[in-house]
Amino acid sequence: MPQFKPVWQRWVGRRIPPASRIELDHRRIFILPTRVGGTYAFVLFLLLLVSINYQNSLAYGLTFLMLSVGILAILHTYRNFSGLILSASNARSVFVGEPVQLRLRLESAAGGHQAIALGWDSEQLEQTDVDPERLVEVALTLPAAHRGWLRAPRLRVESVFPLGIFRAWSWLDLEQTVLIYPRPVPGSMPLLQGVQPHAEDDGQATRGQGVDDYQGLRVWQHGDSLRRMHWKAWSRGQGLMVKEFTDLSGHDLCLDFMALGGDIEERLSRLCYWVLELSQRQQPFALRLPGFLSAVDSGDAHREACLRQLALYGVRA
Amino acid sequence: MTSASLAQPIPRVSLNWLLIAQALVIVPFALHIPVSLIVLWLVCTFWRIQIFRMRVRMPGTWVKSGLLVGTAGGIFLARGSLVGLDAGAALLIAAFILKMLEMQTRRDALVLIFLGFFCVAVGYLFEDALLWGLFTLLPIATLLAALIGLQQSNLSNKPAGTLMLASKLLLQAVPLMLLLFLFFPRLDPLWSLPQPSNKALTGLSDSMAPGDIAELSKSAALVFRASFEGAVPPRNQQYWRGLTLEQFDGRRWSQSSRAQVPDAPDWRKQGEKLSYSIVMEPTGKPWLMTLDVGETDLAGVRQMSDFRWQRRRPVEQSMLYNVNSWPDAVRETALSDGGRLQDLQLPAKGNPEAREWAADLHRRYPKPDALVDAMLSYFTEQPFHYTLKPPQLGPNSIDDFLFASRAGFCAHYAGAMTFVLRAAGIPARVVAGYQGGELNPDGNYISVRQFDAHAWVEYWQAGVGWRSVDPTAAVAPARIEQGLEQALAADEDFLADSPMSALRYRHLAWLNSIRLSWDNLNYGWQRWVLGYQGQQQLQVLGRWFSGFETPVFAAGALVILGLLALWLFKPWRRESDSQLRLFNAFERLLARHGLRRQQGEGAQAFARRAAQRFPAHAEAIEGFAEEFEAQRYAGISGSVGHLRRRLKYLRRSLPWRLSAVKDKQP
Repeated sequence: MPQFKPVWQRWVGRRIPPASRIELDHRRIFILPTRVGGTYAFVLFLLLLVSINYQNSLAYGLTFLMLSVGILAILHTYRNFSGLILSASNARSVFVGEPVQLRLRLESAAGGHQAIALGWDSEQLEQTDVDPERLVEVALTLPAAHRGWLRAPRLRVESVFPLGIFRAWSWLDLEQTVLIYPRPVPGSMPLLQGVQPHAEDDGQATRGQGVDDYQGLRVWQHGDSLRRMHWKAWSRGQGLMVKEFTDLSGHDLCLDFMALGGDIEERLSRLCYWVLELSQRQQPFALRLPGFLSAVDSGDAHREACLRQLALYGVRA
Repeated sequence: MTSASLAQPIPRVSLNWLLIAQALVIVPFALHIPVSLIVLWLVCTFWRIQIFRMRVRMPGTWVKSGLLVGTAGGIFLARGSLVGLDAGAALLIAAFILKMLEMQTRRDALVLIFLGFFCVAVGYLFEDALLWGLFTLLPIATLLAALIGLQQSNLSNKPAGTLMLASKLLLQAVPLMLLLFLFFPRLDPLWSLPQPSNKALTGLSDSMAPGDIAELSKSAALVFRASFEGAVPPRNQQYWRGLTLEQFDGRRWSQSSRAQVPDAPDWRKQGEKLSYSIVMEPTGKPWLMTLDVGETDLAGVRQMSDFRWQRRRPVEQSMLYNVNSWPDAVRETALSDGGRLQDLQLPAKGNPEAREWAADLHRRYPKPDALVDAMLSYFTEQPFHYTLKPPQLGPNSIDDFLFASRAGFCAHYAGAMTFVLRAAGIPARVVAGYQGGELNPDGNYISVRQFDAHAWVEYWQAGVGWRSVDPTAAVAPARIEQGLEQALAADEDFLADSPMSALRYRHLAWLNSIRLSWDNLNYGWQRWVLGYQGQQQLQVLGRWFSGFETPVFAAGALVILGLLALWLFKPWRRESDSQLRLFNAFERLLARHGLRRQQGEGAQAFARRAAQRFPAHAEAIEGFAEEFEAQRYAGISGSVGHLRRRLKYLRRSLPWRLSAVKDKQP
């Protein structure tokens, strides 16, 4: 058995090559009796025994009628299944640990398709009907275990309609890929130490305005460092104030991979958290990873670009 | 269905169809199972519906066990045993009913559906008439509808939709079913099984007191139907032999113990041959009816010493057999001593007047034939009267009949004549069987009913063998020439006990013609459907496809499946779709050359990109794409063949055709 699976998968891979849009046809449909079909055959056998032993023509007739219905069920099951067109919709990226929603479009070329079951394995299948010349969207979830590209496994599509004694199924690769971002983990902000990031590439040199370049006070927010608390203001009863320094506000922040210690995944998780956090505050920032330095920017596109870098850091290809 | 979905509850539609199907499956059994089971069914159905409406809970284990034991006990009490076909069928129906009550999941429903199919088949052992056969299409269709209703789809939630689909499936299955029915070889029974018992059958028995045949005359039940290959012989020659009664105890004629010994008699074919086939109804007796002297090659049947044909097992289901008869055959020119003794047997005393008359006749007519003629003329000349309600006879019944009452029917005449012949030293015996029958002009066959039961006489002479004589014909020629109804006097009502019998209304021409047509239809059903077993099949197949059964069957199956597939898939309707197909081929062709259409890329954009990539073939590529766009989107109708030619042109023009070897795996 262990050797069988790869062989089978390779064979399926050759027979049903990956494509983003697949119409189920005779090359892609397999059809075999189900366990209920086995029971059906057994009942037919019993009926035949009754017919033979009692030499009863009507019992023979019933046996043959049921046998013919069984054979016809192959055609019906096949007809119900074939002509279904499956394609993958774009999937939204998620963070590690969240379920990925993969959306599939099911279209009917001509006739309707009843009781189509879809899923990643034969035990958990979603049921849906596709009416003639209609389009149905089905969302399937996959757990996101690792960051990087998640390639959806082969999709199992099957139907036992109408009698449940034959199962038509196919095993499709719709080339669905989703980018999985690292899991965001809160912690202190990993800021670039020492050298300012944009000294070289930008005409506006900011040397001289250091971390200690006091700018003013602002109201404390959750997450602000206690070291920057303006304790004097608090003692005067002015509430919790934070000293703001030029390189925090006027100057752009640079989230730095090297500012963190420990495991790569932990560092990426922390960076991810701060990318999300700063984007939410709409505060411009730059992201520095070994071999990568983003521009200081804000906005959704910037956030997506940064998350993409984090997701793909160190991932081959 | 996965194992998970099998454990799900039953959809409403499926449950409804199952309840209906159950009722339909049980109907044919109504007369064959104890009444208590019908009550049980009603209770269980009501209970199941209440469970579905959440009014009551499912029965617990104890209740279920109690019901099971109680039902089995009830069947045992009603049937006296739990084995045998009757009790077995009752148990099967009981299981079918109780399973409905405890049904919860789809798996249970499947068991119930399959059990239902099996019940339908067992029902055929009890009821196999044409109408019942047609009726069972209803439970079969509803069971299939219930099976479809178990699917999780929109269609399965529509009661009408499921039944429609089930009926469609059945209808489409009919041609293949007929083919299988025609060709599937009928095997002999693999092992013997309990047969349906026909307790209440009336018919000939192995002994005859004078009143027995009068009893039979009240019944219009069908005994058999016979189709002749040539012309139907005249009615007065239609003496259907059943068995002989050779033992007389002074009152009752019965079968002799000698007749039980299998010993084929000696006879010689002579004269014209009659060929006919008979479909016999269940009689519960092993005798087969034939005209004298019959011969059949049916398996499991043999000719006994008194020329009767006996089956190894009683006829419990209707059966078909072919017979050749030679009415002029010479039968047993030499009689064994045992046979002679048996056919001269008389009680030690009684009926002195008859014995005296016999001695007198013997003196006057030493030749048996002359003696018989004298007796017949006695019956004709004396005021003998044919009636089914003769007066009571005393202990010397033959004397009373011959010389006092002079009223009776065939059994009296045959019994009395045999007695006198034996007393005169002529070996003789009573033959019991049927005489005549109703000719159905539609089908050119004869239906013989119980009221055609008859008894006549056979006597033996050395060198000549057995000869038949019918004293009733001398008394009441109408009985022989026309039938019982015509032979009875005006004061005796024909079939007085069954006022509803259509046979009583034969004088109404329109009703009679409907009755005869219906009878003809049923006969066809019996001959060609019920009787399509063993020999009948061999004959039919041999006549139509001699030697080519297997190829004809295979070709027939292929043609039927091919036509069905055509009907189901309607490939001609896919013509509009073939543009898309050609475009897919176009895509595959370019993909082989390393150019894949991107997600969301239109046909035009893709073609433009392809043209840039393969400038040498830009013309062919764009030509195809334009044609495709025009046909598919711009609504310009063009022939698909045109598009196909463009693709062909492109395929030819692309230079590296070597890679086309891998055509099978684009």
